[in-house]
Amino acid sequence: MSILVVDNLSKQYSKNLQALKQLSFSLEQGESLGVVGESGSGKSTLARILIGLESYQEGAITFQESPIAPKKRAPLRAYRKNVQMIFQDAASALNPKLPIWKSLLEPLKNYSEFTPSFIEVDGLSDKDIAEKLLGLVGLDSNLADRYPGELSGGQKQRVNIARAISLEPSLLICDEPTASLDVTVQVQILTLLKELQQQLNITILFISHDIRAVTFLCERIIVLKEGSMVDQFELDDLYKSRRNSYTKALLDAASL
Amino acid sequence: MSNSLLTVNNLTIESRSGEPLLKGINMEIGRGEMAALIGESGSGKSLTARAILGILPDEMKVNGQILYKGRDLLKLSENEHRLLLGKEIGIIFQDYRGSFTPYIKIGQQMIETIRTHQRISKKAAKEAALLVLRETGLESERVYNSYPFQLSGGQVQRAAISMTLALRPNMLICDEVTTALDLMNGEKVLKYIDKARRETDCAVMMITHDLAQAYKWSDRMHVMYQGAIVEDGPTEQIRFHHQHPYTRKLCSSLLSLPKERKASSAEGVYSI
Amino acid sequence: MKTAVIRTSLSLGNVNLVLGLLLAVFITSVTLIGGSLVPHDPFQVDMGNRLQNSSSIHWLGTDQLGRDILARLVYGAKLTIGLGTVAIVVAILIGVPVGLISGYIGGKVDAILMRIVDGILSFPDFILAIAIAGILGPNLTNLLIAIVLVRWIVYARVVRGLVLTEKQKEYVLVSQTANSSSLKTIRMHILPQVIPDIIVMAAIDVGKVILLVSSFSYIGLGAQPPIPEWGAMLNDGRSYFQVKPLLMVYPGIAIMLTVLCFNLLGDGLKSHYDIRRGRGRI
Repeated sequence: MSILVVDNLSKQYSKNLQALKQLSFSLEQGESLGVVGESGSGKSTLARILIGLESYQEGAITFQESPIAPKKRAPLRAYRKNVQMIFQDAASALNPKLPIWKSLLEPLKNYSEFTPSFIEVDGLSDKDIAEKLLGLVGLDSNLADRYPGELSGGQKQRVNIARAISLEPSLLICDEPTASLDVTVQVQILTLLKELQQQLNITILFISHDIRAVTFLCERIIVLKEGSMVDQFELDDLYKSRRNSYTKALLDAASL
Repeated sequence: MSNSLLTVNNLTIESRSGEPLLKGINMEIGRGEMAALIGESGSGKSLTARAILGILPDEMKVNGQILYKGRDLLKLSENEHRLLLGKEIGIIFQDYRGSFTPYIKIGQQMIETIRTHQRISKKAAKEAALLVLRETGLESERVYNSYPFQLSGGQVQRAAISMTLALRPNMLICDEVTTALDLMNGEKVLKYIDKARRETDCAVMMITHDLAQAYKWSDRMHVMYQGAIVEDGPTEQIRFHHQHPYTRKLCSSLLSLPKERKASSAEGVYSI
Repeated sequence: MKTAVIRTSLSLGNVNLVLGLLLAVFITSVTLIGGSLVPHDPFQVDMGNRLQNSSSIHWLGTDQLGRDILARLVYGAKLTIGLGTVAIVVAILIGVPVGLISGYIGGKVDAILMRIVDGILSFPDFILAIAIAGILGPNLTNLLIAIVLVRWIVYARVVRGLVLTEKQKEYVLVSQTANSSSLKTIRMHILPQVIPDIIVMAAIDVGKVILLVSSFSYIGLGAQPPIPEWGAMLNDGRSYFQVKPLLMVYPGIAIMLTVLCFNLLGDGLKSHYDIRRGRGRI
């Protein structure tokens, strides 16, 4: 079953700047789809549209078979419960003035009627819940009282991931989640995402310019260039000769 | 090494509060060599470059030797250092926007830079500029007559490198020059640097955190970790026969492409 | 981290803060309890005792109507500082929400609010305040209204600018994707970033407004005789300047000290917050 269907999506910023051109693709329940593209390919715009931060001019987005209208509050509430996003810059995604546990609990507080499955007993305090969340992403519970400035880049991104999965979304959009991190930390974060995907059966849309990271995490890949989709394929078909010339060039540049 | 160009002997740097930032760096770069200085943020690789360039903050305490063609750079006066920079040692930074003043045409700026270091006529400087621009693989006339904002990041970065190379330096320090660029543009920049150093025998010190780039382009790798070089050697040796635990961790963090995985299935999923 | 805190409290920035706080404590205590320590009525005319020099009875002497100068200064402190503070508080209460709404919501709301602000800003604020006070009639309440009307726009403008920067931050976007309401996002993520700047601005602004209040009273558009507002006292003393210059010197010093106090507080708080921010970034 398709969890997300993007049909003919176009987004124009100004007369001369078209970010997305008639983009169509679908996302199957439980899969991880990689979106590869260089800067200016429209991949971040796509992420922002899908999470409801930006509007679009043409096309339709269908999530779990119901259409999503951008910037309409009531349907967005249900949608955002199910679709969460991890941003590129681990540091600036956390408010420096709030202790970690407060940042972690913001989404859950907005959906007080929802009890995630990791809360097994009633009557847990806010701190307890935050500590449980930290445990899910392999962080020590004593980080709950710290401030973002006291955490390493990798720890911050883990906190961001914990916050994103706190609502147990069905779809997780990752916009270059490792771009701001050191290489040894990148692997750890990608491995964490892979584990969480299997544990929680989350569908992942992984957006990156790093073709190595994409092939690590994703079974299916689409390639964006200047707002258009120029190629889409299963990972096993990566080296097939019918690949688009741009895909080949990207692969060539990344190869040793 | 008889053709040594730059030798760093036991370089240590301390912060004002006495905290050691570099802990006895030893390094040798030969003429025409492409040496990669690889490490993660905070490992001290940029600090090493700054020490060579003599642009460390005053309050840092520097000890040791940096011998360039036999002269100790740490003993030069500020003026002597400035003369050496540009002409003998070129530097290119990560932020390509800083290389050119935004409101002056690139050609104009190249001429001025060339003429501050070489006493040649404007016409000769223009020819030199156009020549190096042509070598970048860019449309030289168009780039020459453009303002920086009219070009893409990769184009500006290549123009900046060509301007540095127009002075025929013997050494080029590239501080994360591809980090702000796309994969393909970054490759073009590196390809150009590699071509230039082969043609002019200019040594390149490539500071990077990108393991794939270091594997692909360098002759020798120096692995930095917490202010020290933990391992160095020919790139092939570092890649396949590393000894130090940190190098092992670093090398195993390079994610492999599917084809590379098949080639070395014995070593597991990550390593190549 | 402890040593950093100690070092900052000794740095020049905090000398300002410490001096400002000391002055503030002094001025506040004079304002609040000074009245009960001075046994004279600031309005009590005593023509037999006019223009007296300092004595054990009248510490700072008496004015042209024989009123105790110290009593009038203390009473005037309440008026002048109180008026300045109230004016700024009201200006903040209007300006900050307008700036937050304008900056955060943007679009048409922003356009309309900012055109209003631009309109008011295009007049020099002193002239505008004179016009408003002149039209409404010269008294302290109208002066207060005039000052609020010209000051709130400054806060709206500054806060809007800060919000425009803040709302680009990724944690604000994250808050939106967590489905927080605009109000919650502003309260949780934007307001805390804006408050330090408002406090610094307000501290310096109170000083400015005190000058403004005194200036208005001095030119006769503010406090009317016999109210001992400091500017009005300056004005009263003007005719006797040749005979008894101290009549103008005392309220002058009072104004100067108060404005200095708020300026020091403002500067001190600014460097205090700057240091804290710098540390937060590391």
